[in-house]
Amino acid sequence: MQNDEHKIFEENIPAYSLGTLDAEETSALEIHLPTCASCRNELAACRQISDGLLMAAPPKAPPAALRQRLQRRLPSAQKTNRPPRNWSFDRLALGFAIIVLLALNLFSLSQMQSFRRQQAQLTHELQTSQTALAMLAYPGTQSLPISAANISGALLLDKDRSVAVLIIWDLPQLPDNRTYQAWLVDPQGNRTSAAMFDPDPDLPFTSVTIKSPNELSAFTSLGVTVEPAGGSRQPSGSRVFRIDF
Amino acid sequence: MTKPDDKELVRQVAGGDENAFLMLYDRYAAQVHALTLRILSDPMLAEEATQDTFLKLWSRARLYLAERGPVPVWLLTIARRTALDRLRLESRRPTLSTADDPDDLWRVIPDSKTTGEESRWRALYMAVQSLTPDHRQVIELAYYQGLSQSEIAETLGWPLGTVKTRMRAAMEQLRRVWGQP
Repeated sequence: MQNDEHKIFEENIPAYSLGTLDAEETSALEIHLPTCASCRNELAACRQISDGLLMAAPPKAPPAALRQRLQRRLPSAQKTNRPPRNWSFDRLALGFAIIVLLALNLFSLSQMQSFRRQQAQLTHELQTSQTALAMLAYPGTQSLPISAANISGALLLDKDRSVAVLIIWDLPQLPDNRTYQAWLVDPQGNRTSAAMFDPDPDLPFTSVTIKSPNELSAFTSLGVTVEPAGGSRQPSGSRVFRIDF
Repeated sequence: MTKPDDKELVRQVAGGDENAFLMLYDRYAAQVHALTLRILSDPMLAEEATQDTFLKLWSRARLYLAERGPVPVWLLTIARRTALDRLRLESRRPTLSTADDPDDLWRVIPDSKTTGEESRWRALYMAVQSLTPDHRQVIELAYYQGLSQSEIAETLGWPLGTVKTRMRAAMEQLRRVWGQP
């Protein structure tokens, strides 16, 4: 019985080696092959024939245009064949470039903001100086001197026009966490913030435009104190000087 | 300067080397085209199948396993499957394979000991030509037309047993004439 089965399998091996055995017989043979050395040897011999049949057709060159056509098609075919590391390198390079560009943009933005702050400050200082000059030339302007140790200067005040400019010489520099703040004082002793300022280290004097929410005639004096950076709602630090109107 | 061997070229193709690909094309295009033409018997279809075969070489070179056998056998097996699939498509018959899994392809090709020189293949070609018409017909229909034994029997109007007998006889004769054990 076993010999009969073996003979059937053996007879199917040539067709199997040519890939032409029917599906059911193929499945049965593939189960049998691992158990039968004789059939495996027979298959190896038959496969030499089927191998040879691949090569047996006399060579015939395809049209020359096919080679060129294939060359043109290779780049698109290569997309599926390209090693993943190329993608990684491209991505890394792109990521690095984006980071560099972002850093440059942030640096440029920071520089621009710094320039704008400087420009605004210079504009403000110029306006203050021009106001002071104009007031000096105006006959109704009062010049009220500052009376304090090691500090000199004056408050240029025009009550009618509610314009005042404070000019201070030799005002000491403050630490970064402190600022000068000017206060307008009314007859009841109420203090109203009128300006915050810091001395320009490159100039021997400081000029400050006094801003008032009301007519300056409503106030009787101006005081300057040292306050935390950013200013205070009411005077809390030491007084630097006071000028009575 | 020695020419790089086939396996080295396939390795380079797997790395995207176009020159290596063209060297393999120059070596085997004529054999691939001869096989596809033999199967399809139409120059235009054969050219397309040859092109598809080499595009598969380009995209699947990394899947080639050197221990499974020589490069031309692998390449020509792809060519045969590609041409037979095209033949079945043209004649509205079910395709032999859909996934073209290289391992699946290898199931029907020889083991790694089978190498060949051109003279040996030429001798085999002559051996096929020397078969009796009935024997040569079953080999042609099976190997170059992709027909199963049942399909051959139906096509030729022979009993299935006759097809099997003649196929075995044809293979035994080829082994004798070709000098195989």
